[in-house]
Amino acid sequence: MEKMIKKSCIGRQKNVLVKIPKKNHLQVTFSKRRTGLFKKASELATLCGVEIGIIVFSPANKAFSFGHPDVESIIDRFLSRNPQHDSGVNRLIEAHRNANIHELNMELTQVLNQLEVERKRGESLDKMKKAGRKQCWWESPITELGSCELEQLRMALEELKKNVAEQATTRILVESTNTSPFFKVNAYENETKPNDQIRL
Amino acid sequence: MTRRKVKLCYIADDSKRKVSLKKRKKGLLKKVSELSTLCGIDACAIVYSPFNNQPDVWPSHNGVQRIVSQYKRMPEMEKSKWKMDQDSFLRQRIMKSNDQLLKQRKDNREKEMTDLMFQTLVGRSLDPFDMMDLNDLGWTIEQYLNDIYKYQSDTNNMMAMVAGSSSSSAAALLAPPPPPAAQAPTPDHGVMRNVGESYQGAAAAAATGSSSTGRFDQMDTQQWIMNLMSPQASFGGDDMMLPIGDTCHTPLWPNNFLP
Repeated sequence: MEKMIKKSCIGRQKNVLVKIPKKNHLQVTFSKRRTGLFKKASELATLCGVEIGIIVFSPANKAFSFGHPDVESIIDRFLSRNPQHDSGVNRLIEAHRNANIHELNMELTQVLNQLEVERKRGESLDKMKKAGRKQCWWESPITELGSCELEQLRMALEELKKNVAEQATTRILVESTNTSPFFKVNAYENETKPNDQIRL
Repeated sequence: MTRRKVKLCYIADDSKRKVSLKKRKKGLLKKVSELSTLCGIDACAIVYSPFNNQPDVWPSHNGVQRIVSQYKRMPEMEKSKWKMDQDSFLRQRIMKSNDQLLKQRKDNREKEMTDLMFQTLVGRSLDPFDMMDLNDLGWTIEQYLNDIYKYQSDTNNMMAMVAGSSSSSAAALLAPPPPPAAQAPTPDHGVMRNVGESYQGAAAAAATGSSSTGRFDQMDTQQWIMNLMSPQASFGGDDMMLPIGDTCHTPLWPNNFLP
């Protein structure tokens, strides 16, 4: 669930079905619900193979619309009340369009799945953090530590930082000495071996 | 209502699809109605089922006609700005979800690094870490230390403010400035910060554990490793440095830390 505006986020509320009195709240609700509405329409079109058109005017009188296959054709169909002509070309265009939409839906599904995985991971990391704080005093928030404890922690962290730095520089050193000379010798050895075998 | 994850493709089974169609159509029209009432705006919906030429509409045939006329009267530019179809809508959804994904990954990485920091603090070996992890870990430690320095400094200020000049020495005793480590960034310890500096801000920053402003930017972590490569990074000569072979196999500090 996205939190749109941090300060005025009051979470879920029971919606009494009258016009929202506060302007900010109204605008936020409009944005959220409009997106949600289009999402529902998109799902309905995909899942059940319907054609759909939605027109929504914003509080500032902007015209938002969603349509499948497109708003204009739905409007024309509605106004003319004639059945569609189902020509071969139309069917081909429709098939292409649906294939494209299918691709997009698959891509979206993939991203949403990954997002779900990461969110769950975030939750378990939070749990770990909470448990850690209960067990180890040094994992508590800094502001909750006594000055003596804080000093201990600080010194330990400074030591740790040095160690990490040292590990890193050691690695870099080792890596740089591992290139060129040894590698060339090995390559030369590998080259001569097949020749020896052929001679035999 | 069951929170089942919905599969985003055409429902092949006829009867299931019909059931879904009925439910979803009803739900959709309800949502349009709610949107219209809650926000006091005009809206309409037209739904054509596959084998029915008569559409389901909201609010009513006449209502739809009115709104459609209103819509048609709008200038083409205005309409096309906010006109969406499946293609554009799905692309937008994919983009938004991707952004959320990246952010969530970043947050998770921070949490993971902080946890690793505490683990290595009590003796977990640094050997299996790769360079990127070491980099991020070093950066995390630095951020955490910065928060500590700030908190200690601010606490000094607070105490000095409260107790008056006579106890400024006592305050200094409580949190002595760190030794001048070669690589540590030097915030102004021992120098009284501006008395007017907000304590709430510092407490809030410290309370988050790792810094709330810093992130695992490419720039920041690269900079950390750059600091590493600076001439100050000596090895072997300094008494405080550990011999290379002994890195972190055993904890380096008294057993106070071990549970």
